[in-house]
Amino acid sequence: MPKLKRDDWIDLARKLDWDYSYVREEDVFPEILSGRPWLPHAEWQHWDEPYRTSYEDYVNTQSDKDAIFHGVREAVGRIEDFAKLDRSWLNGLKLHAATMAFTEFGAGLGDIRAARFGRDSAWRTMALFGALDEFRHTQIPLLLMHELVGWDPQFDWTHRLFHTNNWMAIAMRHLVDEMCVGTDPLEFAIATNLVLETGFTNLQFIGLSAVAHDVGDRMFEKMVTSIQTDEARHAQIGHPVIATLIRHDPERAQYLVDKWFWRSWCVFAVVTGFSMDYLTPLAARRTSFKEFMEEWITDQFQKTLTAFGLKRPWYWDFFIEAIDIYHHMVYASTYTYRATVWFDFALPGPEERAWLREKYPRTWDMLDPVWERITERWRTSGPGIEWSTQGATLPGFCNLCQLPMSNGTPRANAARVVEHRGRKYIFCSEPCAWIFSREPERYADHKGVVERILAGEAPANVVKLTREYFGVTADVRGKDMLIGRYPWLRAHRNEPGSEV
Amino acid sequence: MLVPLYGFLEGDTLGLVVLVHDDDRVHAIAEQLQLAACVRVAPRTHAQVYFRGQRLDPELTVSEAGLAPLDRIDVVPEEKG
Repeated sequence: MPKLKRDDWIDLARKLDWDYSYVREEDVFPEILSGRPWLPHAEWQHWDEPYRTSYEDYVNTQSDKDAIFHGVREAVGRIEDFAKLDRSWLNGLKLHAATMAFTEFGAGLGDIRAARFGRDSAWRTMALFGALDEFRHTQIPLLLMHELVGWDPQFDWTHRLFHTNNWMAIAMRHLVDEMCVGTDPLEFAIATNLVLETGFTNLQFIGLSAVAHDVGDRMFEKMVTSIQTDEARHAQIGHPVIATLIRHDPERAQYLVDKWFWRSWCVFAVVTGFSMDYLTPLAARRTSFKEFMEEWITDQFQKTLTAFGLKRPWYWDFFIEAIDIYHHMVYASTYTYRATVWFDFALPGPEERAWLREKYPRTWDMLDPVWERITERWRTSGPGIEWSTQGATLPGFCNLCQLPMSNGTPRANAARVVEHRGRKYIFCSEPCAWIFSREPERYADHKGVVERILAGEAPANVVKLTREYFGVTADVRGKDMLIGRYPWLRAHRNEPGSEV
Repeated sequence: MLVPLYGFLEGDTLGLVVLVHDDDRVHAIAEQLQLAACVRVAPRTHAQVYFRGQRLDPELTVSEAGLAPLDRIDVVPEEKG
């Protein structure tokens, strides 16, 4: 008997919805689990996406991808291969691996919920594949980095970060729990599939992948390329979901896009902004983080918004200004609190600062004095003295994004205090305050680092806080990458053996 | 009584939590915040403290200035310092 052609049977295998006889549709797909606005299936029945993957297609393709990945790992994924890489890049890798591995796991949980409560069977099928994808994306960095732990214990934080109370873990969990773990498939599809995967992950898959090629990290390049092919497929879930949402509740569609664009931006500015503008060796930098954002995120995102008839987020002007400065503010701040994290930092020298000035002409004059001050303190203390360039006073953290209070500029920090039901909250920016104000019941009970200290749940002393609460022990704590032993610092000090 | 405040020093890249006593003078807050941020911003001898856009009299105490826990204050160093 001849086999049917794929297009002749695929819809039979993916369009499996039927009319319920013994239960109500609202009970099979309750609004709290499926998302709002609740719509009858008739409104979702034309849900479709271009990949139209069957299970057989999926298994065969993934099997091939994994075979290629393991082949690459055998060839270039050993300790000796990583040991050849530039030290600053390796530290970007530690940051990236730790923040992303369990974000992917969270996305897998969101996809599983969508595989049950998504409103069309084709959506549910794609979400199931998406879940399998995301668990793969969790396992790949865990596998790769685990092998490096014996060589450099900071890589242990690939697995460890999300299981600690480190301030960056609190920020990441706050985001991932809301975006993936504790949300409905509808919001998940907008937040993750649409905003994150068709927008911000370009920073990883195109931007950092190209940089990885230039610094010679073939393993990272192949890892993100392999992951990208999965993301490109399951990212398609977002488009038909938002198209339906816009037809029925355009205000909510706009709200979800605005909210998740901002929340995604804050985290990616730190993870990718640090990597592109500070933890990539100068010779391998093709474009600045800002240039990449402008080309691959803001332009692309605006096209997506236009295609769906949505407006740019209300905070767009503030966001455009933030691209010029926010990640610089956080990097300079975190450099001086580097012992609170699990990776090392590069001190930008004269050449790096000249490059940053050229790339950020509008804002660098406000930031350079901070680096001059830090550099001056290194010159005074001499190399090897970590404490003289580290802060000992507790930083403030935003009650929404949970990141340091570093929005705005050094001249005008954008933080604001808001009172809600007798409790004071501080937000790093107007968009973070706005997100809180739209759904305060969702966020109001969460305690940030400062509230935990005031409640006696965490020590107030920064050294104790770092060691006992953040979980950063002496063997992994972040340092200056060269502990101040930069040739250009020696040259300035006119020390014996100075390189001029 | 200890009063935790969010302090923002002009020229700095982040806000810090400064713990002051309710009977500390306002000028002491400026000194304390500058010391806390000295890794990134060189301290100046003279600085003004602002709360809700108003400059505070440096001789007022924290409680006289109406500062309560988790308020935001801004410290602006003066050129002459």
